[in-house]
Amino acid sequence: MDEDKRIVVDNLTSRYPGTTQPQLRGINAEVQAGQVVGIIGNSHSGKSTLCRVLAGVISKIVSAEVEGQWRLFGRRVDDWPAYNAMTGVVLQNPAGQLSGLSDTVADEIAFDLINQGLAENLIQKRIEKVAAQMGLSAQLHLHPESLSGGQIQRLAIATAIATHPTVLILDDPTSEMDPLGRRQFFHWLAGVKDTTVLIVTSEIDDLCEIADSVWVMHDGQLVSKGTPGDVFNHLATDWQIPAPTITQLAQKMNWRMADGQYPVNAAELKEVRYAHN
Amino acid sequence: MKTEPIHRTSMWKFKLSAATMTLIPAAVGINYVAKALAEGLKLPVWLGSLGTFLASMLAGPVAGAISGFINNVIYGLTLSPISTVYAITSIGIGIAVGVLHANGWFSSARRVFVSAIIIAIVSAVISTPLNVIFWGGQTGIAWGDSLFAVMVANHAPVWLASFTDEFVLDILDKVCVAYLAFFIYRQLPQRMVHFFRDDK
Amino acid sequence: MMTDQTLISGTPQVKRKWYQVIDPITKLLFILDMTLLSFASPNLLLQVGLILVATLLLLFSKLNSTTFKALGFSLFLIVTMLIIQGLFYSHNQTVLFSVLGISFYKEGLIYATMLGCRVLVIILTSGFFMVTTSISENAAYLEQSGLSYKTVYVLMSVCYILPEMMRNMRKIQQAQKVRGTNPQKTLIQKLKSVLPVLIPLVIKTLDQSMARSISLQLRGFDNPNRTVKTSQQYHLSRMLHISLTGLAILLIGWKIWTKINGL
Repeated sequence: MDEDKRIVVDNLTSRYPGTTQPQLRGINAEVQAGQVVGIIGNSHSGKSTLCRVLAGVISKIVSAEVEGQWRLFGRRVDDWPAYNAMTGVVLQNPAGQLSGLSDTVADEIAFDLINQGLAENLIQKRIEKVAAQMGLSAQLHLHPESLSGGQIQRLAIATAIATHPTVLILDDPTSEMDPLGRRQFFHWLAGVKDTTVLIVTSEIDDLCEIADSVWVMHDGQLVSKGTPGDVFNHLATDWQIPAPTITQLAQKMNWRMADGQYPVNAAELKEVRYAHN
Repeated sequence: MKTEPIHRTSMWKFKLSAATMTLIPAAVGINYVAKALAEGLKLPVWLGSLGTFLASMLAGPVAGAISGFINNVIYGLTLSPISTVYAITSIGIGIAVGVLHANGWFSSARRVFVSAIIIAIVSAVISTPLNVIFWGGQTGIAWGDSLFAVMVANHAPVWLASFTDEFVLDILDKVCVAYLAFFIYRQLPQRMVHFFRDDK
Repeated sequence: MMTDQTLISGTPQVKRKWYQVIDPITKLLFILDMTLLSFASPNLLLQVGLILVATLLLLFSKLNSTTFKALGFSLFLIVTMLIIQGLFYSHNQTVLFSVLGISFYKEGLIYATMLGCRVLVIILTSGFFMVTTSISENAAYLEQSGLSYKTVYVLMSVCYILPEMMRNMRKIQQAQKVRGTNPQKTLIQKLKSVLPVLIPLVIKTLDQSMARSISLQLRGFDNPNRTVKTSQQYHLSRMLHISLTGLAILLIGWKIWTKINGL
């Protein structure tokens, strides 16, 4: 298969200095271009570390022992400037991701674009576009400090997508958003085209509506991967991951789909209901 | 816990890494807040060099010196213009702490005391001429200045009186700051210590 | 203090006042020149003249609380200086007046007045800089004049970090107050009471620095393609820089020359 059209993770192991147990152990995975992959797992399962490795934070910025290989569309992290330019990243603690030197939300979004040396009129267009996408158009002239936690997260996402990255890596980007903001975000994510998205989240219901595949992390290992339907119909109890609300409901009612699996999202639930009626 | 000394050749690195670049403003901020806390609690010490100490311990003498310098420049441009000239003192403190820490003089409570005295001497030696030029030898702290007044009244040379005034204040302040820095540094998570020490 | 509006937010570009067309470096050089002038001679008339110039500049730009705070800071020290030097200055000879049998000497009082005037000159001229420039203006100007973004960042982000830290400190202090603390007597007890506030604050601040450092690198701040944002145009900045620097060199040279001849 063509390496240039996939994300490939090959036997990846990573350990921070000063710790005895590796945070990631032998991860193998592949993502096709344009897919949305949801990464789930309980805390300290290695989700964030995986994001950090794929974003290049480990080991380009923070030192750690890394074994194995990974490539984003054929590109290795050693080719740092080009690798970095390919990715848009939102890590945990969105407030820490602000440049800390912007007077306005618009300036903050412009930061990445100025760094890439884009022309001023193009920068202006991009700012307006991503602000509209993230629902920040009315806040463009406010000081970033004056935003709420959820708005800061949306701003962090806006800065990540402003550069039109090939790969978007999002580590729990909705943790501080209110339910409405979260719904808007997932709605936007569902419509994303031409970008491969890796998203860590605990919003399983929302994730099942939009993800092409789901990875389950447990104790530093990738213990399950597949379509949301496959993964959530075969959860192991020690992973401590709840099934989507729809699946739980369907299990109680014993509503199964044609292939015997329980539905995981609204579309599948509808399918089941039509089959039953 | 023992702090391992940084390799000697790397101590004087001058390349401003991205880690150091964000550490310096944080150090200046810690200086400000520590000073504000000391004033709020009416402590007889300034504590305004705590951040400089920590920056030197985490990232070496150059980072500490820059933190100290910028601290006084910003302080001077926002609150108290004269404090700008004491930037030289802060640079001295930053370098002294960094060198002492790199050579293991912050590794035990007993050694910290020796370090504090050396740092106080460095600070007082640099500050005294500035005190004489700008304030006729005073420091602006009541009990240090009363000592100064007594000495000048008894015909002691201004330089000696001013040095004594500054040194008694410095020794108390630097001992307090050194122990605070020593204690806080030991509480810092390892990943943090690694992050700022790494030469990336 | 740092949350002062003129420092935090850029001045909206509606109609530019006269002091906004002067670039920040010119203003800094002006502080340097005024300070050197003040140190050029102990003549009190000269000092008063300089204070007048600086005060007029402030009156014609804008006055705000920052300058008053800076003044308040130093006035107390100037008063104690007058007392100590008036009483004990080593060249004291002529009694000027006596209060309750304590004699104040002319020489010491003049010496202290001169020092006080110098302090005032520096504070007032710096005040002009403080009230007429904003952080973002300085940042843009510095990068435009060829400083690396790293250097500009280090200098300027301090101004953004401080208000944030002050807020965090108040939060932690409030949490501590809720828990209840005993009144402390000795210095050691007081220092120990500082720790529960300082340690979380330091760790939080350093954590934020780590996150910021990672994020700046991910966001490509050191990309060689980075374009410098063009800031506003200033009048005559080159000429002003040259003449003010020239004046500074002249003053330093003159001071050294008189010192050598005086010896």
